[in-house]
Amino acid sequence: MHKRRKLLALGAAGASAMMVLTACSGGGGEETEGEREVTWVINSIPAAWASISSAGGSVYTIQTLSGVLPYTGQWQPDGTYEYNMDVLAEEPTLINDDLDEGPFQYSFTLADDAVWSDGEPMTGEDIRVSVMMSASPDAGYCTTCDSRGGTTADMVEEMEVDGKTITFTLKEGLADAEWMSQVDAHSTGGGFYPAHLAEENGWDVDDPDELGEYFTWLHETRPEWSGGPYMITDGDLENQVVKEPNPEWWGEAPQLDRIIMPFNTDESTFVNAINNGEIDGANPAQYSGDVMQELEGLPQVTLSVGEGNIWEHVDLNLENEWLEDTELRRAIFTAIDRDDIANRNFGAGYPEYELKNNHIFGNDSPHFTDVISDSGQGSGDTDAAIEILEEAGYELDGDTLMLDGEQVGPLRLRATDTQTRSTSLQLIQAHLAEIGIEAEIEVIDDLGGVLAEQDYDIIQFGWSGTPYFTTSPEQYWHSESGSNFGKLSNEEIDELVEAVGGASSQEEAAEYANEAASLVVDEAYVLPIMHEPNYFFVNDRVANIEDNLQSSYRATYNIGEWALAE
Amino acid sequence: MLVYTVRRVLGAIPVLFLASVLTFVLIDVSGDPLSDLRMQQPPPDPSVIELQEERLYLDRSMPERYWLWMTGIGGNGDIGLLQGEFGPSTQSATYDIGENIAERLGVTLRLVTAAMVFALGLAVLSGVISAMRQYSKLDYTLTFVGFLALAMPTFWFAGIMQQAGVGFNELVGSQVFATIGDGTYQAQGLDAWGRFTNALAYMTLPTIVLMLTSFAAWSRYQRTSMLEVLNSDYVRLARAKGLPNRVVIRRHALRTALIPLTTVVAVGMAGIIDGTVLTERVFQWRGLGEFFIAAVEANDSFALMAWLMLSGTAVIVANLIADLLYGVLDPRIRFE
Repeated sequence: MHKRRKLLALGAAGASAMMVLTACSGGGGEETEGEREVTWVINSIPAAWASISSAGGSVYTIQTLSGVLPYTGQWQPDGTYEYNMDVLAEEPTLINDDLDEGPFQYSFTLADDAVWSDGEPMTGEDIRVSVMMSASPDAGYCTTCDSRGGTTADMVEEMEVDGKTITFTLKEGLADAEWMSQVDAHSTGGGFYPAHLAEENGWDVDDPDELGEYFTWLHETRPEWSGGPYMITDGDLENQVVKEPNPEWWGEAPQLDRIIMPFNTDESTFVNAINNGEIDGANPAQYSGDVMQELEGLPQVTLSVGEGNIWEHVDLNLENEWLEDTELRRAIFTAIDRDDIANRNFGAGYPEYELKNNHIFGNDSPHFTDVISDSGQGSGDTDAAIEILEEAGYELDGDTLMLDGEQVGPLRLRATDTQTRSTSLQLIQAHLAEIGIEAEIEVIDDLGGVLAEQDYDIIQFGWSGTPYFTTSPEQYWHSESGSNFGKLSNEEIDELVEAVGGASSQEEAAEYANEAASLVVDEAYVLPIMHEPNYFFVNDRVANIEDNLQSSYRATYNIGEWALAE
Repeated sequence: MLVYTVRRVLGAIPVLFLASVLTFVLIDVSGDPLSDLRMQQPPPDPSVIELQEERLYLDRSMPERYWLWMTGIGGNGDIGLLQGEFGPSTQSATYDIGENIAERLGVTLRLVTAAMVFALGLAVLSGVISAMRQYSKLDYTLTFVGFLALAMPTFWFAGIMQQAGVGFNELVGSQVFATIGDGTYQAQGLDAWGRFTNALAYMTLPTIVLMLTSFAAWSRYQRTSMLEVLNSDYVRLARAKGLPNRVVIRRHALRTALIPLTTVVAVGMAGIIDGTVLTERVFQWRGLGEFFIAAVEANDSFALMAWLMLSGTAVIVANLIADLLYGVLDPRIRFE
């Protein structure tokens, strides 16, 4: 009897505690009555408060600063480019693009009512200082700024500031077909930064050492400033940031009272968290079929998936004794079945996938030309591959490919240990076995080192691309480029990729880029597979939100327009 | 005891030194800390890479880097363990390893302390009951639960607990349990009771996960130890003298049976800190476990060294505490 009373008391205490907890919820994501709040996950931890540097230059830092950094324009989800007419007074002006008439010149003029959150007007000086911080150390503006970009900023000879207007003059002989990108959403800094805060803190931005101090300060200090619809009011670089409307924002007023952005590194937690009302959505940088499948089953969630900006490709080491032969390389690429690789990796979650048929341009780009399909490369056509080999003097001895009585290979097939690449390597191994080539799979954990040391015969890895393209061909294929890891050397290609960088219009640059890409296919140097898909999911309580796969900002690209669904 | 303690502390120094050399070499050969930077699109200017190599002391040889890491002599003032500086981080120029460890230590200790207290309490209770009811249905049930807990992978159990939490919330129509985060930000502006319920909401699930493995192992130790004591002569004598069973168990048997557990628990405490790596990841607590994972992902050698040295020191200190407690609980043991 005594024991029973004790048990009953214990049970009652437990029940009371549960009732109290039930009544006084402590869980996250709850909003104060009447407040419009959205919790948007950032899928990793941003390393710094500014994205200009190599360490801070991640999509996570960019997304953390969404709604805070002003920028002059950006690519829209449908692939069109729009200037930011909240920030600009008028569309930027191309003053001169004819190098025979003088240096390449263009200018930006900021809107009259564009101000920072402390009321200070935005001026051309803000852009000038941002470009100085984005340039390489060798440009001489700053001694300690470790900019992650520099390509566009380094072209600049002179910046002339006249109040709201800044005029750029490029170095002699240089043209920039993508000049509008200087301080847009896709630039090194993800936009531009205030200059007046340097002066307020006692730094002279024209002193290279002091500009470096300002650069460090921007990276270390949580922005209390804003030039966009929201400003960061709380948070840190470890857990989350909280954004509230910028009271000085001159554009259309944002419709949310608060946006909380927790940094969540584990995608497997998303399903429970959105079910539990702790988050409203995310745009992860990685593809995860399992998570997508679970999200698809949630009635309150909208899920979308599309081509991301990282594209996978197979590269050959042209300095390998066997792979020096172009015909062997063509046969290898012909034997590889790209559709098999893409389908097995992404077919279940993203059956609408498309193979990538141009190294530089996406399939929906106005500059796109199919340079791959006619070559038969990536088709998995074993018979065609064997025919190429036989014509070149190779012969199959049973299951082994021979040349002059010697076995071809074995070749070392390498990639980092991701699920996608592991599957891909196994398939490539099987495709090559069909034409008598033995490939040994070797997984790596130091991609940069392996590429730099050319420690591979065949390798699969990814490049990230953007709608901007003029610097890519030279970087990928020029014989002097440090990123031409497999050592392609072709004078005609060198000339074409140099011409891409020097073109004064995008059309002209694209023409050269496509010509170069065709020659690269002839050389059978790089075989593009496809863009790795990215997914986005959002709770149906949030309105005016969509993924922008053209931009590092992803879904946060229009954060000022986010609202709660009626 | 003081002499013994000092001797043990001095003895730990060469152990830590050798451990540091070994781990430094292993980390150093495991990869290029700047590989991500070298792969950036578009590729950074060579001067940027040079700047980073200089900042991270990668332009020095490995022995020189170790010397710098240990002493700081010849460095830029941001390195030197003996000077209280852990070195620059690959994660960013502004990432302060020492500051991060200090902040995260509190987060991890909050989780570990709660898990330890509950694991220990339940382990003692379960062990004692199991031993007293040896071969009964209750004993078999507790044994089964213990082995089940031992066999359960942490990340899997954490996922199950999260789903259970969400299921419970749906059932009661309120967010009683949170599944991600440590609740620090949600506690802002709450009164004392609000902070308490907030902490409970965020801590319950990860605490259960973290305590599970320790509880399982410790309850088995406690059962064995208790069984041994219950069969000893002095317990039989106490019973023969007519002392009530409750007194025999509480005053005589339990105290002796706790001695071996003390050693196991003290050493296990260091193990729990290591065990937070998975739990913190799944529940998104920014503690030392998450610090470790971030350092591995970023190839952050100095941050990894800091974590490993902290972990190593914790093991040594825990062992020392175990030995000292052993002597306190069992007067037959002398420190010489």
